[in-house]
Amino acid sequence: MLEVRNIETLYGLVMALRGVSLQLAEGRITAVLGANGAGKSTLIKTIMGLIEDQPDKGAIWLDDKRIDHRDTEEIVRLGLAFVPEGRQVFAELTVQENLAMGAYTRRGAAVRADLERVYGLFPRLLERQRQLAGTLSGGEQQMLAIGRALMMRPRILFLDEPSLGLSPLLVREIFATIARVNAEDQTTILLVEQNANMALSVCHQGYVMENGRFVLAGSAAELANDPDVREFYLGIQSEVSVKGYQRYKRKKRWR
Amino acid sequence: MRKGLILALSLALTLALAGVGVAAPVRGVSDTTIKIGQWGPQTGPAALWGSVARGTGCYFELLNAEGGVNGRKIEYFLRDDGYQPNRTKAVVKELLENVGVFGFASGVGTSPGMAVMPDMIANEVPWVGTATGSTHWAFPPKKTIFAVYPNYPDEAAILTNYILFTLKKEKIAFIYQNDDYGKGGLDGAQAEIKAHGKSLVAEIPVEVTDTDLASHVMKLKQAGAEAVIMWVLPKHAAILLGTSAKLGFKPQWVACSTLSDAPLMHKITKGLWNGVIFGNFAELPDSTSPLMVKYKAAFDKFADKKSDHWGVFFYAGFGFVEPMVEGIKRAGKDLTVDSFVKAMETLKDFKGIMGRVTYAPGERQGMREVFIGRCGEAEVTTPDGKQEKMGQAVRLSDWIAVK
Amino acid sequence: MFFQLIVSGIAIGATYALMALAMVIIYKTSEVLNFAQGDMAMLSAFVAFTLLTENNLGFPAAFAGALAFAFALGAFLEFAFLRRAKEPNVLGLIIITLGLEMILYGLASWKWGSDQKDFPFPVSDFDTHELGTVVVSDLNLVTLAVALSLMLLLFVFFRYTKAGVAMKATQQNEVAARLMGIRVNRILMLTWGISSVVGAAAAFMIAPVDTLDPNLMWTPQLKGFSAAVLGGMTSLVGAVGGGFLLGIIENLFGGYVSVEFKSVVAFAVIVVVLCLRPSGLFARHYVRKV
Ligand SMILES: Nc1ncnc2c1ncn2[C@@H]1O[C@H](COP(=O)(O)OP(=O)(O)O)[C@@H](O)[C@H]1O
Ligand SMILES: [Mg+2]
Repeated sequence: MLEVRNIETLYGLVMALRGVSLQLAEGRITAVLGANGAGKSTLIKTIMGLIEDQPDKGAIWLDDKRIDHRDTEEIVRLGLAFVPEGRQVFAELTVQENLAMGAYTRRGAAVRADLERVYGLFPRLLERQRQLAGTLSGGEQQMLAIGRALMMRPRILFLDEPSLGLSPLLVREIFATIARVNAEDQTTILLVEQNANMALSVCHQGYVMENGRFVLAGSAAELANDPDVREFYLGIQSEVSVKGYQRYKRKKRWR
Repeated sequence: MRKGLILALSLALTLALAGVGVAAPVRGVSDTTIKIGQWGPQTGPAALWGSVARGTGCYFELLNAEGGVNGRKIEYFLRDDGYQPNRTKAVVKELLENVGVFGFASGVGTSPGMAVMPDMIANEVPWVGTATGSTHWAFPPKKTIFAVYPNYPDEAAILTNYILFTLKKEKIAFIYQNDDYGKGGLDGAQAEIKAHGKSLVAEIPVEVTDTDLASHVMKLKQAGAEAVIMWVLPKHAAILLGTSAKLGFKPQWVACSTLSDAPLMHKITKGLWNGVIFGNFAELPDSTSPLMVKYKAAFDKFADKKSDHWGVFFYAGFGFVEPMVEGIKRAGKDLTVDSFVKAMETLKDFKGIMGRVTYAPGERQGMREVFIGRCGEAEVTTPDGKQEKMGQAVRLSDWIAVK
Repeated sequence: MFFQLIVSGIAIGATYALMALAMVIIYKTSEVLNFAQGDMAMLSAFVAFTLLTENNLGFPAAFAGALAFAFALGAFLEFAFLRRAKEPNVLGLIIITLGLEMILYGLASWKWGSDQKDFPFPVSDFDTHELGTVVVSDLNLVTLAVALSLMLLLFVFFRYTKAGVAMKATQQNEVAARLMGIRVNRILMLTWGISSVVGAAAAFMIAPVDTLDPNLMWTPQLKGFSAAVLGGMTSLVGAVGGGFLLGIIENLFGGYVSVEFKSVVAFAVIVVVLCLRPSGLFARHYVRKV
């Protein structure tokens, strides 16, 4: 399975990841929580080979193969699929063509079956088969982006903030689908979210990231019960008497 | 005694300065050699005409094999200017300053020539026989510049006259490259036809970059032209004849001497050149005149058959330079720019393989006659045994001088 | 006369359309104006010429061979030159294509000489058909047929084949294309190859009317570029429409207004279009590549 060992990623001179290690559990959903700018997207992009010449230090292993410093195209072909932040659908291709591109590396009858399946998961896409992706609503584009990734039949699926900019109802629908895919196909999933509530409701284990480092790790239940997570990510006030100063200190401890 | 010594010394000095014994050196001339330069497009759009400059090289090899001119061998410096005036300037500068040539033989192209003319005038560089019929070389006359090629207005006038009175066609149209070259021809044709109380039925310009001449041809057709005179590039002549054939327009085509390589024109027009009438400034390739036979032998011996064929542009490189060689010969052993110019001015009805050449003080246009030819066809057998039609020029008239 | 001008315009327009298509195919993927387009096509025409006259191949074999050469040439240039650009920006890439143009031109002049050659072709421009007063030659018809079938082929390719859709996908979003496992470098090579083939086809149609020499494609490239701008630069349909329209406008202008200024009509049209409809006459909408 995928293992990230102590990687550092630089944007020029700026260090965005400062020694991150991570192990995905086969067939499980792992969540990475963290505030805006923590480095969550950078982590996935580094794994996917999207940041040139990075990681600067450390290694990424898939089973017994090192996969860092390879072309994205080749990493994808190892069974890693990524639904990037902002969806990145092919705006001037139809829904059907977008999905076909998801299966670019595959051929055969199974592709047809998977297409049926994606349309089953997202019936709204079926209705809009011939529509240009650029003309879909945000939620539909998110469905398309996920559907397109599923067309790869990935071993591991990376999702970067699928909830961003969607209505609560749609968010729930999409997370339900994510959970369903994981349950039905045993797809390993890495889910990056700011919406910790939603993420913790579907994931099995999780990490909390701050300033390019993991500061906390645990099962979904452990994280949900962690007082800091509760306070800073779930927005639940713990003790009435907590002073601003103490909060500051606690936050600082994580760095 | 002292006085006598000083007198003797100053006498000796004066004698030395006057060049008794040690002559002041003339650029490009030594006891055994003369350096002569030429530019010509070996690449680029006008490369077809670059064979002129190679022909000159062949001519000089022939002369050197015969012992040179007045005992001096000719050292020939050919430079490719790609028909680009700024490159011509650089080439001429290099040949004058670094190589140090006595003068320039021929040189292809009106605009390349125009670009270097100021330098030639300023430095009094002998320059004979530019391979174009522009009037700029000889009018107004310049001391060291001698034109050989019959100028375009003269030639166009002769052709127009021929159409009017020998072919007896009155509706004449003129299609010309929209620059100095084409307009020179147009001027001559206009003047000639006006002198007979008529005018051209159409005057159509072609831009160098045009590749589609359909609307040009339709204008000619609409004007009802019986004869069309062409002052264009070979490439445009080919497009013009092709488009006309397609649109069913069949006038008598008449062409400038720049298009007088009949086999080549016949080939690139896929045979449409058959029957076209054109001006000629030099004997035809199959001429049996002694000079032509000798030059053909030189071609067989010295020329690179891969890049050149025995065609008019190649031996024009001989013809344009013959008057220069004659001038050098007549200047004798004491060759200087001045003695050369004087000698050139003694040429009267000088005859090589071209028309008669005459210069005089104040007269720098050497040749003022052309003859008329027509493209015919001959059956030839290609190397792989196929029968093929080849264009062949047929002489229609004697030399015709401008009135 | 009017109909003859239109027909002549369509005939020449077909070649402009092919050149425009060739340029747009590359422009769409990389926003590079490929100034070597014309000379890539010219070189392919010379290869066809050599296969025909020196290797004595028949027309089908010679043209197929030359098209294969064109494809390889396009792919090679992308692989060997454009891809090498460190930190490529659009201007830098355009300058590379200008350099390639000079290299290819020099190569052709050196290998084949610059004198005009007669380009053999199986159908003649002089075998004509008359429809009333309008004359059409066999070559015109073949040119039109070749142009239209190539366009149809491209249309089918981009619409119905995986590689074609992948090319469009790459044009629209390169990062997302990589994430689909599309090998973007190969797609770029393919793009250049296909573009080169389309340009070569144009050259094969132009050379029999013109004469074959290294300057063969200079004007057609300019016209193709104008047609592409007319069509909005990013639309294949626009490029085709622009090509035909430019051919017709030029001929009508030459016939009714002035032959002298016919060759500048193309540029006047560009200026007018850029002022009035910067996205081209045919573009539905202008989407910059993300
Ligand atoms: N392309 C980039 N160039 C320079 N800095 C970047 C770039 N992308 C992200 N960063 C910086 O790296 C840090 C982590 O960003 P990111 O991974 O996008 O955070 P997250 O996804 O957790 O919100 C931020 O400080 C951000 O400003
Ligand atoms: Mg992010």
